[in-house]
Amino acid sequence: MARIGVFICHCGLNIAGTVDVGRVVEAIRGYPGVVFATDYRYMCSDPGQALIQRAIAEHELDGVVVAACSPAMHESTFRQAAAAAGLNPYRVEIANIREQVSWPHQGEPQRATEKAIETIASLVEKVRYDEALEPLTFPVTRRALVIGGGVAGLTAALEIARGGYPVLLVERAERLGGHVAQLSHLYPTLEGSEAHLAPLVEAVTSHPLIQVLTGAEVVGWEGQVGHFTVTISGLPSPVDVGAVILATGFELYAQQHLPEYGGGRYPDVVDGLQFEAMLKAGEIRRPSDGRPVREVVWVQCAGSRDPTLHRAYCSKICCMYVAKQAALYRRLVPEGQAYVFYIDVRAQGRGYEEFVRQVMEEYGVVYLRGKVSRLVERNGALEVWGVDTLSGQAVRLKADLVVLALAAVPAAGSEALARLMRVATDESGFFAEAHPKLRPVESFTAGVYLAGAAQFPRDIAESVAQAAGAAAKVLQLFARKEIVAEPTVATVDEELCAACGRCIEVCPYDARAMHPWKALATVNAALCQSCGACAVACPNKATTVKNLSPEQVLAMVEAML
Amino acid sequence: MAREGAGCGLTQGPKRVILPVVEHGFPLRALVVGAGIAGMQAALEIANAGYGVVLVERLPSIGGRMAQLSETFPTLDCAQCILTPRTVEVGHHPHIELLTYAEVEAIVPEGTGFRALIRRHPAYVNWDLCTGCGYCQEKCPTRVDAEFERKLGKRKAIYTLSPQAVPNKPVIDQEHCTFFQRGRCRACERFCPTGAIDYAQEAQLVEVEVGAVVLATGYELYDLSRMPEYGGGRIADVIDGLAFERLLSASGPTSGKVLRPSDGTVPREVVFIQCAGSREPERHLSYCSKICCMYAAKQAMLYRHRVHEGQAYVFYIDIRAAGKRYDEFTQRAMEDEHVVYLRGKVSRLVREDGKVIVLGADTLSGRQVEIAADMVVVAPALVPRPETRRLAGMLGLPTDEHGWLLPLEPNLHPVETIRPGVFLAGTVVGPMDIPETVAHASGAAAMVLSLFSRLTRAAEERDG
Ligand SMILES: Cc1cc2nc3c(=O)[nH]c(=O)nc-3n(C[C@H](O)[C@H](O)[C@H](O)COP(=O)(O)OP(=O)(O)OC[C@H]3O[C@@H](n4cnc5c(N)ncnc54)[C@H](O)[C@@H]3O)c2cc1C
Ligand SMILES: Cc1cc2nc3c(=O)[nH]c(=O)nc-3n(C[C@H](O)[C@H](O)[C@H](O)COP(=O)(O)OP(=O)(O)OC[C@H]3O[C@@H](n4cnc5c(N)ncnc54)[C@H](O)[C@@H]3O)c2cc1C
Ligand code: SF4
Ligand code: SF4
Ligand code: SF4
Repeated sequence: MARIGVFICHCGLNIAGTVDVGRVVEAIRGYPGVVFATDYRYMCSDPGQALIQRAIAEHELDGVVVAACSPAMHESTFRQAAAAAGLNPYRVEIANIREQVSWPHQGEPQRATEKAIETIASLVEKVRYDEALEPLTFPVTRRALVIGGGVAGLTAALEIARGGYPVLLVERAERLGGHVAQLSHLYPTLEGSEAHLAPLVEAVTSHPLIQVLTGAEVVGWEGQVGHFTVTISGLPSPVDVGAVILATGFELYAQQHLPEYGGGRYPDVVDGLQFEAMLKAGEIRRPSDGRPVREVVWVQCAGSRDPTLHRAYCSKICCMYVAKQAALYRRLVPEGQAYVFYIDVRAQGRGYEEFVRQVMEEYGVVYLRGKVSRLVERNGALEVWGVDTLSGQAVRLKADLVVLALAAVPAAGSEALARLMRVATDESGFFAEAHPKLRPVESFTAGVYLAGAAQFPRDIAESVAQAAGAAAKVLQLFARKEIVAEPTVATVDEELCAACGRCIEVCPYDARAMHPWKALATVNAALCQSCGACAVACPNKATTVKNLSPEQVLAMVEAML
Repeated sequence: MAREGAGCGLTQGPKRVILPVVEHGFPLRALVVGAGIAGMQAALEIANAGYGVVLVERLPSIGGRMAQLSETFPTLDCAQCILTPRTVEVGHHPHIELLTYAEVEAIVPEGTGFRALIRRHPAYVNWDLCTGCGYCQEKCPTRVDAEFERKLGKRKAIYTLSPQAVPNKPVIDQEHCTFFQRGRCRACERFCPTGAIDYAQEAQLVEVEVGAVVLATGYELYDLSRMPEYGGGRIADVIDGLAFERLLSASGPTSGKVLRPSDGTVPREVVFIQCAGSREPERHLSYCSKICCMYAAKQAMLYRHRVHEGQAYVFYIDIRAAGKRYDEFTQRAMEDEHVVYLRGKVSRLVREDGKVIVLGADTLSGRQVEIAADMVVVAPALVPRPETRRLAGMLGLPTDEHGWLLPLEPNLHPVETIRPGVFLAGTVVGPMDIPETVAHASGAAAMVLSLFSRLTRAAEERDG
């Protein structure tokens, strides 16, 4: 006979404000197999956990149900607490009576209380059938792959190598440095870009543990955290790595997408990177006829912040580099005039606001608040048509040169790379972080981390900090010789399996395969995400997910009815 | 696990506890100062790699500012809900030695690392005996304004910051305790079931050797009292952004209802003022505080979720919404929640007939505007904490003219300092939102990990 304990959390008023916790305790006390039931204000707190641990010892519990918030919150908290008290952690289940009961049923205490009882009963049934499992362990290949050799990739590679682990750095272009290699100077200090980048590139290329492959790309991919097998163009055989950092950066939205600004037809309408090249050359001349330039107009948010026609998001870096470029232009051509069309000036960072103010006041750059509606060419001269929303007046400016601060979009090919590596992307095509706030450098795929503008446009300082953060994840992984994984994965009953292969077809994670010589389907436990698709598809009931057997599910459903 | 020792002669003082040194003859342990989201993130990264961490927090419990927030932009998930798993993990981590209600007294370089002296303030509660049952707080007769609630709520003289506090152990605020002030009461002692109250408890000095230091002491808000133009903190219904977070918070003093501090009524018109003290080199601070545009949009939105028929106004100079889904978020505030954005600066707030009259200019229409608001929420500049300067002084670290700690170099070395082995995490270097703080703190941890990993691997090779 089972000896199950049930612990019901009030979560302050989050649960107890709606659910009649006292009634739930009474009802569940009489449930078959339940030998102990109690409630507490905050079960996740130290005293709450101590209460569970005491009850495990005193009542010799062999299973525990904690009725509280979503298992995503505290399943591991309670499992660890139980393990410390000597109970197998896989015989601890969470009944979610907050997100699934008290929150959606606010104002219906009666219904909420009943539903809480049903939910708990169902989890009691689950625990009854739960096997005491041991976590799985896998070895880790302690070598990292970094994809992309911009400042983000370079920083990540260097930090991992400095930690003593070998790194393979794959860069698609012929040289390292990414976009920063194309910049003349950096905001807000206006120091030369090369002076900053060169030592980093030098440190990477001279590090004995870093192997740099330029002109190369990842073309083949399999495996899982701790052990990926990667095929790289130009390398004779696949390489094994334990972790991967995606640092493929960004590129600029093509002018062709912006017919309102000439769609790339006007030679004297350039993008921010082309203007950087001019600054680098130390000479600003019109591309069309090589004449010096007297009036330059910058158009911010070109393709950004425009959900109807272009990209809905703000590209984050352009406000600052426009201010920088306008200042550098004025420094280079003191008699020239610089105009900037903007919606909001986004200058957020140390010294950024002060820098923009200086650009306006000391460098004499004229800022016009408004959107440029069109660029037109009349008699060989460019005209910028816009509105100054501060004066409410239409403005028409003649310009020798127009610089478009184009939206930053994901690097070409990153969608394909994401598909190959099975890494999620967001609605704009940037790699998606595992949690928007608390897991900004992790992807949804274990062992794959994100650095720099590949996740979202950002400037150098932020890219570098994030890249170091991604390196921390890799160093953390490599500090352990093994990876511990959940044992609640799919298993195959060899007696029942007919080797029909249905499971292999349906598995979204490539975790299923045919045994190399036996007529039997196998499970790669490291890849299995316990989704259960194979268990459903199996016509012979040979495949089940550990601690989610058909009898178990049936019992759980019956308890709800 | 700690041994008592004679100390290293850093300062004179109470009895000392010396935390033992770990492994290989050098301390593979980091000192992290400040346990906000930055300090916790750095501590967890280091501890999860198997190295030791001593995490020092000035307050009785961890979480920092994030623990005070209601819901967070741009996804509006509840701050407490995403924070609690982290605080619990930190609280239980076998490799993290958590020293709350403590401050760093001194740090000196030693060998390849540092020796630090940490002062634990007396809680007047023996935390080893305390079970966190909360009876003492129930029975304590003395109510005082709660700092954590930005003075919009009360706490007792014996208190924890919140019911979810980690560690969930109370401290007695000597200044307000009836027993300490007048020699009688002892109610908490009488009711404490485990006899944990200890009025004779003394400060304790903990001495620790570490191989690296991470500073994560966070930020403060520019005080309303310094802004006479916004009432100088003397108008009850003019509050700052953190106070408004407490009003919005389900576990706050009003259980998440938006009520006016003056009379407890529901405000129908609320004005939010951005850039208060920021971007004002003449009168206040020159810099932009980076996060207030976003949190003002969030607060205006959340206000509308609580008070459906309410009207929110936001005064701004530029809307700075640069980040994944940030611009879209402010767009939603305007379009879905009908928040009225007014481009311009508020010149004055005056109290009149139970209302707060907001006088300002709309630079888009070129007109003066006057709004009779029920409540005004000011988004003050973020400023460094004054104590951070002292820490910087001990380590010889430079700050900028405002007191923010300076990284080694702003572009390519954003988490390192001029002192090898000392790193910076989160808002101690300047305003940041949570995601940037977390990434930055992981970055600081990377520096510690690569350092420790280098040492470990060298030792592994040496020892075969
Ligand atoms: C005009 C302009 C001016 C700027 N000025 C400044 C400034 O003054 N200060 C500042 O802080 N920031 C500035 N920035 C922003 C700066 O460029 C970025 O912060 C920085 O480049 C981000 O670095 P990253 O490594 O993430 O990406 P990137 O620099 O884009 O590097 C990504 C690298 O990955 C490679 N790659 C892409 N896909 C693949 C693939 N599939 N396989 C292999 N390799 C691949 C690319 O070839 C590239 O080398 C500016 C940006 C622009 C456009
Ligand atoms: C009103 C408001 C709303 C916000 N809303 C959001 C939001 O919705 N989304 C978002 O992403 N961000 C938001 N933020 C920003 C968020 O608060 C910060 O990004 C985050 O809290 C920074 O964390 P931190 O660890 O760097 O600093 P803190 O949270 O300040 O933590 C620092 C810690 O160090 C401790 N400490 C200080 N000095 C010492 C010392 N000398 N010794 C020991 N310990 C010390 C402090 O007690 C504190 O616990 C908001 C900010 C405000 C003001
Ligand atoms: S950073 Fe500035 S220019 Fe770029 S999209 Fe955002 S608001 Fe527009
Ligand atoms: S002795 Fe102090 S802390 Fe304790 S109950 Fe009395 S006033 Fe409160
Ligand atoms: S973030 Fe926005 S509100 Fe805050 S100081 Fe900067 S511009 Fe002003």
